[in-house]
Amino acid sequence: MPPQIPHPDPGTPDTRGPLRYIWWLARSQPWRVLRGSLLGTAWMAGLALRPYLIAKAVDDGLRARDQRALLFWGLAIVVAGVVQAWLGVLRHRTTNFIREDATARSAAVLLRHLSRVGAVLSRKLAAGEVATVGGADIGNTSYVLTITGPGVGAVVAYALVAVVLWTISPLLALCILLGVPLIVAVMGPMLRRLDRVETVYRHRLGLLTARAGDIVAGLRVLAGVGGRGLFARRYADRSRELLAEGYRVGAVSSWIRALTHALPGLFLAVVVWLAARMAADGDITVGQLVAVYGYVAVLAVPVWFLLDGSYQLIRGRVAARRIVALLNLAPDDVGDSDHAAVPAPPHPAELRDPVTGLTVPPGRMFGVAATDPAEATALADRLGRYVVSEATWGGQRLTGMPLAEVRSRILVADHDAYLFAGTLRDVLRIRDDLNDGALRAAVRTASADDVVEALPDGFDTELDNRARRLSGGQRQRVRLARALLAEPEVLILLDPTSAVDAHTEARIAERLRAARAGRTTLLLSTSPLLLGYADTVAYLAGGRVVATGTHAELLEREPGYRALVARDGGAPAPDAGDVATTRGPGEVEEVLR
Amino acid sequence: MTPGPVAASASRLPVAGNAVVRRAARDLLRRDRRAVVLAVVLHAAAAVAGLGAPWLLGMIVDEVTAGAGAGRLDRLALGIVGCVVAQGLLSRYAQYVGHRFGERAVARLREEFVRRTLALPVSVVERAGTGDLATRSSVDVNLVGTTVRDAVPVVVISTAKLMLLFGAVCLLHPILGLVALAGLPSIFVVARWYLRRARDAYLFEGAAAAELTETLTSTAEGARTIEALHLADQRIAHGTGRIARLWAARRATLRLRSVVFAVAGASYALPVAAVLLVGGPLLDRDVVSLGEVVAAALYLQQAIDPLDALLMWTEQTQRGMASFARVLGVGLVPPEPRGGAGVPSGRGVTLRGVRFGYGDGPDVLHGIDLEIRPGERLAVVGPSGAGKSTLARLIAGIDRPRSGVVLLGGRPVTDLDPAQRRREVVLVTQEHHVFMGTLRDNLAFAAPEATDEQMRAALVAVGADWYADLPHGLDTELGDGARELNPADAQQLALARIVLADPHTLILDEATAALDPTTARRTERALGAVLAGRTVIAIAHRLNTAHDADRVAVLDDGRITELGSHAELLAAGGAYAALWRSWHG
Repeated sequence: MPPQIPHPDPGTPDTRGPLRYIWWLARSQPWRVLRGSLLGTAWMAGLALRPYLIAKAVDDGLRARDQRALLFWGLAIVVAGVVQAWLGVLRHRTTNFIREDATARSAAVLLRHLSRVGAVLSRKLAAGEVATVGGADIGNTSYVLTITGPGVGAVVAYALVAVVLWTISPLLALCILLGVPLIVAVMGPMLRRLDRVETVYRHRLGLLTARAGDIVAGLRVLAGVGGRGLFARRYADRSRELLAEGYRVGAVSSWIRALTHALPGLFLAVVVWLAARMAADGDITVGQLVAVYGYVAVLAVPVWFLLDGSYQLIRGRVAARRIVALLNLAPDDVGDSDHAAVPAPPHPAELRDPVTGLTVPPGRMFGVAATDPAEATALADRLGRYVVSEATWGGQRLTGMPLAEVRSRILVADHDAYLFAGTLRDVLRIRDDLNDGALRAAVRTASADDVVEALPDGFDTELDNRARRLSGGQRQRVRLARALLAEPEVLILLDPTSAVDAHTEARIAERLRAARAGRTTLLLSTSPLLLGYADTVAYLAGGRVVATGTHAELLEREPGYRALVARDGGAPAPDAGDVATTRGPGEVEEVLR
Repeated sequence: MTPGPVAASASRLPVAGNAVVRRAARDLLRRDRRAVVLAVVLHAAAAVAGLGAPWLLGMIVDEVTAGAGAGRLDRLALGIVGCVVAQGLLSRYAQYVGHRFGERAVARLREEFVRRTLALPVSVVERAGTGDLATRSSVDVNLVGTTVRDAVPVVVISTAKLMLLFGAVCLLHPILGLVALAGLPSIFVVARWYLRRARDAYLFEGAAAAELTETLTSTAEGARTIEALHLADQRIAHGTGRIARLWAARRATLRLRSVVFAVAGASYALPVAAVLLVGGPLLDRDVVSLGEVVAAALYLQQAIDPLDALLMWTEQTQRGMASFARVLGVGLVPPEPRGGAGVPSGRGVTLRGVRFGYGDGPDVLHGIDLEIRPGERLAVVGPSGAGKSTLARLIAGIDRPRSGVVLLGGRPVTDLDPAQRRREVVLVTQEHHVFMGTLRDNLAFAAPEATDEQMRAALVAVGADWYADLPHGLDTELGDGARELNPADAQQLALARIVLADPHTLILDEATAALDPTTARRTERALGAVLAGRTVIAIAHRLNTAHDADRVAVLDDGRITELGSHAELLAAGGAYAALWRSWHG
């Protein structure tokens, strides 16, 4: 019967090893697997039925010149054909159900794990790893389960043919019993070799495809400065290399394709030879001779399934190993989350970071201008508890508090926070209780109204991953609107307006202040427009807070601060700060000349 | 900031029609005629050798019935062995020749595709979006590859085998041949039914699988955001929906296969039974021998494999043809026009009454008049959506104004030869791209004649001192999968290209906007070296750029509302002055 997909609960996978994982996929659907084995066996056995019936028709009908018997066996062939086709469809469907159940289950457990394991993923995973797992490994692992159906059937059918031949002649049966393992033994290493050259080929093909995609992605750059010929030549060079690799694959695969037919054929010839001499000696009948030919010819199918099964197992094991490795990734250690030693403060409270000496009072808009952006990021990680630190909240160590509560009350909005594919509404609706009115308000605060207007279907416009169809500034405002919609008690914004023009930035600063009134907002930025709207600004230099005050006060008092922010975008690097202090406004832009 | 094409209706790249596809397919065969003929001959020879075994078996049956001696049987059996060996060897070399032909054809095809892609006018690429082109370059090119390499040979060989097998039965006796066709009508009908539906169903299945993979990938990439915003349940719900879609797509294709396997499978027995049943009366009248009937039955039993293969691979061939049409479609776009306005005289930029809008959309620019002197530095400021980027594109000659004219050195900029235009004016945007290839490749395409010394000098000029740390200097491989440059380094690389290309006019469209402030600062310092001695039109993002320019143009809603030096505009006390004061603190 078809499985229930998607699974309401995919279960807990056995991640102690690739084979255990595959075994878990099989034992999650025991009845279906049993059904698959039975059908696989019945279908495979049925393959041997037709030669038997043909032999009967030849012996009892044609040779005996008995039209009634001929009619009987002829009709039997037709009926057997229909039954066999029906069995084949059932077998195919069950095998597919088994594989699809496994695929959906793997996808579901991976999805759950990837969704819950958290920030660690972006650091520990190489680009494209999940794509490989999702695109190929899940399928290859599921394919191993084919063994449970036709694989089991192949072994049974093989035994069956041997038994039937035994009743005709033990010598012929012995040929079969020795011959088939011989074929598998010869072909096994060739299949593995094919797998190796094909892996190289696919890898190279992937690189070449990436190169074509690279050219497509860079077309606008090429149109701007020229040089198309060079890239066409480079691509052609690599294409030729792949061609040579392709010849290598062809050399192996052509042997395998030819041998898959020739080896059983050769084997068949030997058996027929023996059988013909027996028939000549009168040990077996002509009908039996034809039957032997049929049985042995039919063996090609189980042999093919056996070869295919061993090949799938080799490949599936490698694939399952990658799935298991992904499932075994553990979240970052950010302190004990289950047995919280200290409760979170019941009311909005002061945040403190001993490393920099920063204190953020509750309910205010607070700015931090850091000379080094890395310091700002590290500060946000500590205050948002993405690392173990000595930071405190309401006087207690943040690290000891219940993690879920910290996450829901303190939000770190990264400037490169991920935008998932979906309509703009999907992107913004991070909670189900948000209606369009709330979305519009947040969009307005983030000054992203024009982004919505520019999209053909407004909120219903489909965006791809990372919202690539939007410009950098548009994306930044969408991110800001989304962060505002989370309505956290503490909102930590990292460079929220770096890609936005000055007009818009001024608008955002004003609206942000109004929207967050009474709640804690921490702005990590060097933009004077933004910092000008903060109640208090801390100037972070060399990893410590060196001055605190309003933006205007700091501009007045702190030359380093002035150099950092007043000429935002045009100022020299902070290490040259003391030089810049001697310059008047505008002089630093000389670097632009 | 808003690149116009976002809102403009996507106009798709063309897809080749049947006639073009057929001609291209014939071309592929013709260009490698020797290999094709050799492969066909070898395959045919292999198939003929394959017919030997049942035929010889039929003879053995007759001999045994006639009571022949062991010697005669041994010779016949040895004949079977010989046939099998010959078939194996012939088939191996046939496959090998076919595979090599396929690989060569695919290589030619993909190289041609890339050449055509590179010749596409940039406005066509932007209108169609790079997504479509990226799919054609990956999915379609590779699908055509597997089709030419795997599916086409199987279809050709299977067809040939079937014709030989049925031909052989006809040779045994025409009546047997006629009877053998018994099972074919039902197979033909179900195949038509299946092929009509299979293509869409499998395309949908492929898309659903890709969507699920994409969901898993983005879930991993956005893991930190999921944790921060509590999106885990949403992601799981979203992904579960994808799993359900894939399952629905797989069930749909399975349903199609269930029907076709059932009908075809049941039909396979019909010719065998028919030959045996008709064989009885024929045998009675001595029209055929027992061996002939047996051989015919065995031939028809052998026909099951190629029939199966034909049924399954025809569908892939159809999909491959559809992809082929999309690959060839890229070649149907007329290449960038050569332009014939000759060489511009002078370096000034003039805009007169320029109006422009994307697609059928409303005007974005409403009559711009502007004169930019050689060597002048003009800053263009204004709110998002005012048309700043559009203005930049018009001056760079990417788009043609709806009315009015953009002149470069007295010639319409869109009429200049593209190569000539690139030597005159270059648009630098926040979009930078590091190509897969060596650092040298990444520079050389801007100036093919540049020496290594000039390249190094260009890198030094833009402050790209990181190049000295590269393990292999100019030969270091960059880009996806090799050494990845950070955004600042990548932007410096882009600037070094401009130093090498050496245009006299530069348009900077927020070239540093996507960078974080520190990086932007470093990059802007590098810009200084590039701008020296050139006309610069800067779409300003930070007002300090405007402060330093010779003149500032304030663009609002597609019109120039203010124009003058920084000091003049401040004195005028308009919108610019207000903004400057708020920004300046």
